[in-house]
Amino acid sequence: MSRGWRCAAAAGSLFIALGACASEPVAAPPAGADSPTAGSNAPAPTREPFAWELPPVTAVERPIVDASRLHRETLANGLQVIVLEDRRLPEFTAGFVALRGAAIESTSETGLAAFTASLMERGAGERDALALAAAVDDLGADLAVRADWDTLRVSLSGLSHDFETLFGVLIDVVLRPRFGEADAVRVVAEQRAALAQAQDDPARLALQHLMRSLYGVHRFATPLAGTDAVVSSFDAGSARAFHTRVVTPAGGILWVAGDVDARAFLARAKRVFGAWRGADPVPLPEAPPIPEKRRVVLVDRPALRQAQIAIGHEGIARTDPRRLEAQLLNTAFGAGGFSSRLMNRIRAQEGLTYGVFAQLSQYRVPGPFVISTFTRIPEVGRLLASAFEEMERVRTDPPAGIELERARSLRTGAYPLALETTEAVMAALVDVEVYGLPRDTIDTYRPRMRALGADQIAQTALALVHPDRASIVVVGPAKALLEPLSKYGPVEVVAP
Amino acid sequence: MARSLLVALALAPLGAAFAAGERERDVKFEDPALRTKVTTLANGLTVLTLEDHATPAVSLQVWVKVGSGDESRFTGIAHLFEHMMFLGSKNLAALGPEAYTKLVEERGGRINAYTSRDVTVYFEDVAPEHLPLMIALEGERFANLEVTEEALRAERQVVMEERRLRTDNDPEGIAFEALMALTYQAHPYRVPTVGWQSDLEKVSAADCQAFWDTYYAANNLVIAIAGAFDTEATLGLVQRHFGGLRRAATIPRNPQEEPAQDGERRAVAHFPVKAPIVLAGFPAPATGHPDSDALDVAANVLANGRNSRFYRALVFDAPLALDPQAFYWELQRAGIFIAGATLRPGIEPSAAEQVIFAEIAKLAAEPPSANELRRAKRALEVAWIRGQGSAHALASRVAQDYVAYGRIETLEEKLAAIARVTPADVQRVVAQYLAPNKRSVVQVFPPAPEPAAAPVSAEGRP
Repeated sequence: MSRGWRCAAAAGSLFIALGACASEPVAAPPAGADSPTAGSNAPAPTREPFAWELPPVTAVERPIVDASRLHRETLANGLQVIVLEDRRLPEFTAGFVALRGAAIESTSETGLAAFTASLMERGAGERDALALAAAVDDLGADLAVRADWDTLRVSLSGLSHDFETLFGVLIDVVLRPRFGEADAVRVVAEQRAALAQAQDDPARLALQHLMRSLYGVHRFATPLAGTDAVVSSFDAGSARAFHTRVVTPAGGILWVAGDVDARAFLARAKRVFGAWRGADPVPLPEAPPIPEKRRVVLVDRPALRQAQIAIGHEGIARTDPRRLEAQLLNTAFGAGGFSSRLMNRIRAQEGLTYGVFAQLSQYRVPGPFVISTFTRIPEVGRLLASAFEEMERVRTDPPAGIELERARSLRTGAYPLALETTEAVMAALVDVEVYGLPRDTIDTYRPRMRALGADQIAQTALALVHPDRASIVVVGPAKALLEPLSKYGPVEVVAP
Repeated sequence: MARSLLVALALAPLGAAFAAGERERDVKFEDPALRTKVTTLANGLTVLTLEDHATPAVSLQVWVKVGSGDESRFTGIAHLFEHMMFLGSKNLAALGPEAYTKLVEERGGRINAYTSRDVTVYFEDVAPEHLPLMIALEGERFANLEVTEEALRAERQVVMEERRLRTDNDPEGIAFEALMALTYQAHPYRVPTVGWQSDLEKVSAADCQAFWDTYYAANNLVIAIAGAFDTEATLGLVQRHFGGLRRAATIPRNPQEEPAQDGERRAVAHFPVKAPIVLAGFPAPATGHPDSDALDVAANVLANGRNSRFYRALVFDAPLALDPQAFYWELQRAGIFIAGATLRPGIEPSAAEQVIFAEIAKLAAEPPSANELRRAKRALEVAWIRGQGSAHALASRVAQDYVAYGRIETLEEKLAAIARVTPADVQRVVAQYLAPNKRSVVQVFPPAPEPAAAPVSAEGRP
């Protein structure tokens, strides 16, 4: 049956601008080769061009942060309050961010930030754990307290109809968590169980072992949720002390986005939090050492039918001045969806995997640069060879020309889409404050991205990508994997 | 009657949470989906347009009413076919492999697709200026897809990796696959959407072509577009690029209906996990059944939040699990209610299972409290109201409704249906659908240790 192209051939209205097309991100196909009139000797196509042959349309750059909806104030105690109004839907999200997280933990307290965060959800003010949960659940709201490497965050979302009640809960959770002994015992057990459960996920297991290999005695070497032995030693007092140390107004951020009145909220915040006094911020974590040489780790999981692979070395900090260059480079290399070199080669051309991604994890201090992927057991050697070849090639043949333009266009186009919702814009605003970036960071992103030259990208590739000392972790049956891995150096075989 | 665009949601004051004397306050807001325009092209294709200039994006979604539940000879073909849709079409061939995806990605757009038991969905989320190109691209692959043996060969390997990732290597995937196969005996929902490896290996380009000819017809498609665009101009583009698609005389559907179950079914999957899994499935009504809201409320009473029955019994009172679950999965032709948990290391699945079933039995014997009911309903109501801030979410909501019900349900209708559920309804549906003789139970735990084998060692290696 006919499945022919229905695009009407508009006689006479030829679009012959291949010269223009060639310099654009979208390459034009050979003229006429696939057109309905292919085969004739006509020098030019006699059909209307397909939409993808036309010069790309430039998207209008709308401002991302609507200044008329954004309100800020810094209280005398150092607490910063940010409000982003959006009255379209009757909902809001609010939160508090403390500017220290798990990265400041000593070796005898690994997992304490995560433990403290969990325990903050288990009772605050007049409410015990179940009463606090009921206060939130009765309103269909969501309360979460989470720690990451750099922050401890409380967030609460619900209907604006319930704002008064929910904001009261938020205040209690931030300022007056109960840290009950019985709840601490529960959370210790839960955190230990979650640590064990994480071992069942090959991807998390691979990353854990890579971090251990890269970071030695630095805090990043053990999981954010700590180790079983250390977590077992926690009690309510440990969490209370961490809360006192970290949850403090100086440098803290109180934020709300959504259907709220900004003026009223700022006044309210001042009343409630203005008199809050807390500790001075503890010193920032130390930067991790740069790993000197490759380690090769094989985590023996005989039952797996697919090997999980992580390749990595040190990366950059969130405040690194080369952040944008690094991001653009990595887009072309391994973080640009199907357009990246890694995905193109390892999935599209070689069919070795369903997904392969390179990630530059950025924290206050440099996080790792990691390539994550997976493949069937017999293909591990081939996949590693391809990945390392691409790491070499990004140094010797860095993205330039159309490839670089495509990556740039992806980044500048994806940026406003990722910040489509008010909640996402607020998260970006908070991020800027957490890392002390310039206030105009969000609005200058696209012009800054456009200003990067191919030379900068080439230099960044040489500075940031180091296949010679990238460590390798493979999770899978050791018996079958030892051979392909030993090519890369002495293999440490680890039982999970 | 003139329809107000405002949803008036009467939220009852909640006990101590409100000052004495405070009465109900209405939450009034516009239900964005009410502005959806439904257009049917001459070939039977339905287009849902929801113009909204407050967002900086547009979501274009093409919903094909075919899923793994429609497969007959080759399992996994609906999903494999979804992959093939990215691999080339007549007029894009010259641009090389994955040209389609690259054209979207280099404009910063998000492009992806997914396949379920009932539908296959293709979508692009882009800046408004790129919508015309997206419509042309979707039109191109829906009109001119070319499935070659060569492309199929490579993609088959990719899909098998996806299967290993999501199922073979993932204990939850293993449990879920086993549960579906146990709960459904006749209905094709029993088969995993990703398919069996044997079938993936054997399916040919001709089989894909036949699948296309059967299901990818204009009258089996629903296109949803939400965000910042001009409706009239956009409909013109849809007509231009999709108006020529053929209409199928009939879309065949598998005839199987699941016979009533009477007697518990069990399966065990051995996998070397630290955290064992127990999952139970119960046959439940298909989409659109009047009991669906009561089942949703029941799922929330059982497992939503720290005051839920499961959390109290499996986490708070006894350290058996971490995050127990219950949900009603409203499939198009035969639904399923799933309850279960990933257990703490060392916990016997049978012990945890008894606690889960005891909680279900309690709810079957006695209706939920007024507090429980209110809390469960509020969670469902808020879930509907929230999360409509993106063009993608809105397009998904209207398309899903249209595919399931042939119309778009207003928020008012959805909220009213939840509000109508009584404690007796919850008790009744739990007693009726979650009875012991109707359950299928899957346990995943490690095999008994084998006699010690020689350890693998790196010693002596370079």
